[in-house]
Amino acid sequence: MKYDIYFQEAKKIGLEALELASTSASSLSFSLFHGEIENYTVAKSFSLTARGIYHGKFGYAVSEKNDNTTPKYIVEQIKENALVNETKESAEIFKGSQKYTNKNVYDSSYLKIPVEHKIALAKEMEKALREADKRIYEVEISYSEEEEEIRLMNSYGLNLKSKTNILYYYVSAVATDENEETKTGYKISFSNNFETFNPKAIVNEVVEKTISQLNGKPCKSKKYKAILDKSVTASLLNFFLQSVSSEAIHKNSSMLAGKLNTLVASKKITLEERPLSKNMFFRGFDDEGVATFNKKIIDKGVLKTYLYDLKNARMDKVEPTGNGYKGSDGKAHVSYVNPYLKPGKNSLEQLFEMVNEGIYITTVQGLHAGINAQSGNFSLQAAGYLIENGKRGQAVTLITIAGNLFEMLKDVKEVGSDSELLSNGFTCSSIYLKNLAVSGN
Amino acid sequence: MISKNLAQLVLNECLSTGAEFAEIFLEETEEEKISLDSSIVETVSSSLNYGAGIRLISGLQSVYGHTNNISKKGLLDLASMLKQSFAKERIRYCSPIAKVRVIAKHKPEISYQEISKEEKIKFCKKIEKSMHIDKRIVRTVVGLLDTTQKVQIFNSEGKEICDTRVRGRMSLLAVAKDEKGIETSFQGPGAQKGMEFFYKENDMEEIARGVAESALTMLNAKECPSGKMPVVIGNGFGGVIFHEACGHSLEASSVSKNLSVFANKLGEQIASPCVNAVDDGTIKGGWGSGNVDDEGYPCQRNVLIKNGILTSYMVDSFNGKRMSAKQTGSSRRESYRYEPTSRMTNTFILPGKNTFDEMISSIKYGLYAKSMGGGSVNPATGEFNFACNEAYMIEDGKITYPVKGATLIGSGKDILMKIDMIGNDLKRAQGMCGASSGSIPVDVGQPTLRVSEITVGGSGGKN
Repeated sequence: MKYDIYFQEAKKIGLEALELASTSASSLSFSLFHGEIENYTVAKSFSLTARGIYHGKFGYAVSEKNDNTTPKYIVEQIKENALVNETKESAEIFKGSQKYTNKNVYDSSYLKIPVEHKIALAKEMEKALREADKRIYEVEISYSEEEEEIRLMNSYGLNLKSKTNILYYYVSAVATDENEETKTGYKISFSNNFETFNPKAIVNEVVEKTISQLNGKPCKSKKYKAILDKSVTASLLNFFLQSVSSEAIHKNSSMLAGKLNTLVASKKITLEERPLSKNMFFRGFDDEGVATFNKKIIDKGVLKTYLYDLKNARMDKVEPTGNGYKGSDGKAHVSYVNPYLKPGKNSLEQLFEMVNEGIYITTVQGLHAGINAQSGNFSLQAAGYLIENGKRGQAVTLITIAGNLFEMLKDVKEVGSDSELLSNGFTCSSIYLKNLAVSGN
Repeated sequence: MISKNLAQLVLNECLSTGAEFAEIFLEETEEEKISLDSSIVETVSSSLNYGAGIRLISGLQSVYGHTNNISKKGLLDLASMLKQSFAKERIRYCSPIAKVRVIAKHKPEISYQEISKEEKIKFCKKIEKSMHIDKRIVRTVVGLLDTTQKVQIFNSEGKEICDTRVRGRMSLLAVAKDEKGIETSFQGPGAQKGMEFFYKENDMEEIARGVAESALTMLNAKECPSGKMPVVIGNGFGGVIFHEACGHSLEASSVSKNLSVFANKLGEQIASPCVNAVDDGTIKGGWGSGNVDDEGYPCQRNVLIKNGILTSYMVDSFNGKRMSAKQTGSSRRESYRYEPTSRMTNTFILPGKNTFDEMISSIKYGLYAKSMGGGSVNPATGEFNFACNEAYMIEDGKITYPVKGATLIGSGKDILMKIDMIGNDLKRAQGMCGASSGSIPVDVGQPTLRVSEITVGGSGGKN
């Protein structure tokens, strides 16, 4: 694709600098219902996200159209939008880092496997799920594969490329018991290589997750010793990480302002960003062209760094940390890739034994509304199991857990050794909390 | 966007391997977004979304694809890739294409294009100013987003449907901070109208002040006690309870597959007799309204519940086939990137006879959930949760003090039966609803209403 024309047009109308990010993606997905393909989708998509500087200010433009009218549209919108921008800080487009780490995480082998084979695997899992337990009365399975190439170019000659692919199976089951209470369980299994899917393991996990919840009921309202499953832990830590953003600090929206090099969590917590991990989420550069690197955010409970994009780094007169990622409007925000909670030494079963009597929370719902990322207060619908005599016991449903995220992290007694890379890109383990407010009956 | 002849050619290519229905959905959407952070214009961005989605249906199987290349070659390539999913004899050709007349009911009075960016910014600043009512308001974010979506739909039944949807929405966020903590409050009024909605039809400064007041109130809130109690749910966005706990479970996408607690319940009592509810896509200028849905069928007013009895689902034509029901003008999608399915438009509970005071004074000990945040529901189990943004305790028939961290949880089928008083103050509020066909604008709504018992989760201990 020819992008020179964009830079020429930009020069013509007097833009001081231009940055282009193009995303070309292709995807295939299907879903299965009652053993038959129900939806089948193929797509090719392109989008160009641009920002440019005019009179020292940023203007933004995005287009999915890519014909000979696009370059003019893009640069003119940028100029118009920059003219009304009032940001005090002058805009900056990055000239480039000295060195970039590049790892090849794109695996094209999935393209050689016929779709029929991918469908057959889904059908095989559906059949196995239905045969596994007669209380399972409905099964939903979908598959999707996508690959994406991003390119970042600017007027200073920076030209970076990254290509990734990811394949997913989403497998869920619905079961009902004699009281006609319905429960669902699911698993998202993902990889960049088709051969690594293990249908038997997926099926076993979904059956176990679904059936074990049957006959669940609310438990007593009180404070419990609690274990948060790794998926729940990851969801909550993602909210915590919003407060590590230098942008949130500058905008008066973070409780972690002024807390650098102080204890913000239990000593058991070491939280890192590992963008350079060799997995599907790998990124060698951020959306502003800054080279990424692995870093400790919390080291044994102590907050070591905030995360910076270019703009906020300049405000604090520090180096950017490679954490500038763009939203759909083209504006850079602080974000992160491959967050990592350092695992502890005890297995989940050992954690159950340590707790002896308590609660094991396996799912939370309503995160988009039930948690205030700024204050850290949360109150969430949850489900899981009681821990009885050091073992997983009675299923628990329709309860809420409530508390404050920042207080909760100080309350972590142990981190489990059950570390896993989850589908949201978080490598996480379960955690043991001394105290969790649960309301049920 | 494309000619009838090209559409015919592409649709016939789609039908050549035995599909019984084919459809092309073309879209060009222009969007402008202005965002002010603490009085400073930080972002102004323009976007152009552009592409086509093609759908083929055979029996209960659908195949979908989308592309940004809407040239003859781009569309034919996509059609020939999609048709490979079927390997049968052709059963039909595309009927001769004729344009279906669409009555434009939701035209803006003051178009967004007529107003300069400078003028829009000036307006946003005026609104923003009215949020600074106290020095504890440490951050304010005001946004104005307008979109103009032009769609052209062709299908193998010979229909061409063209429609333009113009929407505008403001977002108002206030952050209040004191030595004890940080609280935020948000409102997002919007409509399928032009700038007149913000200039004339609403007192935006008043709404903005309300946002700031709510954030300040919550600074002084105590932790919400937990337990089962009667709850009065505020009007307007309080209707998210019905949207989550009931609306999603009435969409054909889950009903047709027997994945909803309300499947096979038509004609049955699913709510207390005082409950009447509708999904009305015809409200003039409504945020979730439409001239036609995203399959090109006219939007309509569907009575979902009458006197507590389930009277209708929301049905799209594809899922309608599985459950032998007629489509109800409910097929929607975020953009050409999504295959359409049954979704809500403006969904709300109709007004009753009780007054606000009657409801509050009827409660000895309970919660007044004045304004709700979002929530979610599992349609298979009907279990839902939603968070309260602004809530107060009710003691001995009076509103006493604000509480934070309150979450309401339960199951849809139970709570509908427990609504025992409905107010006369119906109000609708705007939201974005996310599901399999993307994120779409919808109205939720209700009068203030009383639920005799609901589980309240909070960290303030049990009372």
